[in-house]
Amino acid sequence: MTETPPPSLMPHEQPLPPRYDLWTAAVFFCVGVAIVWLAFLMPTYRDQQGPIYEAPGLVPTLHGIVVVVLSIWLGLRSVSRGALRTGGADEPRKSREGYSNTRLVLAGLLCLVFAVGLVGQLPFWLAAAIFVFAFTSLFEWRAEAPIKERARRLAIAAVLGIGTGVAVTLVFQRAFLVRLP
Amino acid sequence: MLDSFGQFIGAFGSFLSPGLVVTVLWATFLGIVVGALPGLTATMGVALMTTLTFTMPHTEAILVLVCIYVGAIYGGSRSAILLNIPGTPASACSTLDGYPLARQGLAGRAMGISTSGSWLGTLFGTLCVATLTPVLAELALTFQSYEFFWIATFGIVIAGTLSGGDALKGYLAGFFGLWISTIGQEPHYNYQRFAYGFTDLAGGIGLLPALVGAFGVAEVLQAMRAPAAKAVSSSIDSVIPRIADVLQHWKTILRSGAIGTFIGILPGLGEDTAAWSSYAAARRASKEKEKYGKGSIEGLMSAETGESACVPGAIIPVLTLAVPGSAPAAALMAAMMIHDINPGPMLMIQTPEFFYQIVAMLVIADMTKLFFGLTLVRPLLWILLVPRERLMPIVFVLCTVGAFAITSRVFDIYVMLFFGLIGFVLRELKFPMAPMILGLVLGDLMESNLTRALVLSDGSIAPFFTRPISGGLAAITIFSIVWSVPSAQAAIRRRLAGLFRRQSAAG
Repeated sequence: MTETPPPSLMPHEQPLPPRYDLWTAAVFFCVGVAIVWLAFLMPTYRDQQGPIYEAPGLVPTLHGIVVVVLSIWLGLRSVSRGALRTGGADEPRKSREGYSNTRLVLAGLLCLVFAVGLVGQLPFWLAAAIFVFAFTSLFEWRAEAPIKERARRLAIAAVLGIGTGVAVTLVFQRAFLVRLP
Repeated sequence: MLDSFGQFIGAFGSFLSPGLVVTVLWATFLGIVVGALPGLTATMGVALMTTLTFTMPHTEAILVLVCIYVGAIYGGSRSAILLNIPGTPASACSTLDGYPLARQGLAGRAMGISTSGSWLGTLFGTLCVATLTPVLAELALTFQSYEFFWIATFGIVIAGTLSGGDALKGYLAGFFGLWISTIGQEPHYNYQRFAYGFTDLAGGIGLLPALVGAFGVAEVLQAMRAPAAKAVSSSIDSVIPRIADVLQHWKTILRSGAIGTFIGILPGLGEDTAAWSSYAAARRASKEKEKYGKGSIEGLMSAETGESACVPGAIIPVLTLAVPGSAPAAALMAAMMIHDINPGPMLMIQTPEFFYQIVAMLVIADMTKLFFGLTLVRPLLWILLVPRERLMPIVFVLCTVGAFAITSRVFDIYVMLFFGLIGFVLRELKFPMAPMILGLVLGDLMESNLTRALVLSDGSIAPFFTRPISGGLAAITIFSIVWSVPSAQAAIRRRLAGLFRRQSAAG
């Protein structure tokens, strides 16, 4: 029943446990069904003698059906590779050395605050300066470092922040006449 | 022939003004820096610079983008050799032999090989652009809606099959991208699909914000999650390429150039597939297979030549079919459209001078890349060592500006964030990004040609399979899907082997 997995990854990549694929298949299945359902609800304009193949929902329906079929295929494949087997099949992924989810979440939050909270509320150069300063100083902050070192890092972050804000404004808005948010 | 040569010389001459020379120098340098820095990719570079250049005259703007593209693909090898981290996905293959060479104290020689391989690869690919584009454009003029529908479908299928490893995930990403392209007003009744009263959504999803998100924001998140990079060495031997290295491996260079260009022509595959395919072919043909992965000069040469030959190759379908051969080529195609250049079969008829200009741009960018490859080793080493904590927030600020600037909609910043998140998650789940972006690019082409073809055939799908070229494209597309199923592939291989055995026995 269990087939040998094909060489499905680039040579430098590590494979995923099959259960990840099963969850992914479930999400894509729901997305596909939602696409088909929403496309089905679209008007067909048959009352205006419009041909059925010009109906707005036709092409999204086809895409949705393909997504559903492919997600079922992915789900079945992950099951055949042991996604539902207890033990062995769903070994916890070895945490990759040096990778940090804390850094990821923090970076994501800072980017979100900048893009949604600061941009448009403040002049762009100021928003960019605050963001770059906050990002750099937070990630470079070492509580155990001497005060002088911490002050130096904060100063670098401030210079980088103001430099970025001013340079982006000058280069984009003045030199290349691009509108900034 | 002479007329074409004259037009090419004319195009070349038009770029020799002092202002444009300066533009070429800064754009190529910027491209190399973008490529060299892990976390910045060629696609992001081209997409962001589209924003910066859209007030420029169109030839100057496209010149900048071509220089960025050519430079970035080459620049990726710097970090691959010195840090063991590919600067762009295309350079992942170069780490296999580039980094071991650097660890043996031969970082300079490795960069010399990379420079000569990349230079010759792009030159080979450019020669193919000059010779193949007019022929393919002529052929494309005979295409009707049926053929264009299959080209779009084939693009998604082949990108899914070959671009990122797992074909099934590639197809899913591709069709997800195709669905995203249907969001917004449709062409026949102006019905707003999946918009639900949001006027911004009714305008559709812009390609550039999506590209900036999937290749910029996702890279920022990945770079911040990954461990910090460390350079293998700060002392570098001579980077001047050795003539002997080139002469000794001329067969590898020609083979890799041909493979790279061919992969470039296929829709959506891109430079990483070209590098891996060239590397695999070189290894198969090599007399020194055992050296591969341990610092093989031949291996590094093949990867660099293949990925760089792919750059001009990826521009060929843009010029002839309006179908991008890679993700950066998709951004380049979007930039052409913004500048009112209509890529596709009519380009050679409406603006033939642009074809010669593109060839000249590629040659100029390649020569400038060679110049910087030989002279700018130390400054690039310093740039590589900029901590990501200082670089990534600046990259994100540039992404935000890039997403916003083309249409001045804050909505595009949200699109960028959405695609950044989707791109990050899908990449973690080993989904290739190229098919999704290709789906977004080809969605319109596929839909408009499908409906037009059905109108022409009065609803019959028979012409999709009975017209000679259309039928051929359909067969290739279906075969590509079947080939991606392991059991079907094994069965086809068995049958073919059996057939050959019978034939040789009969002979």
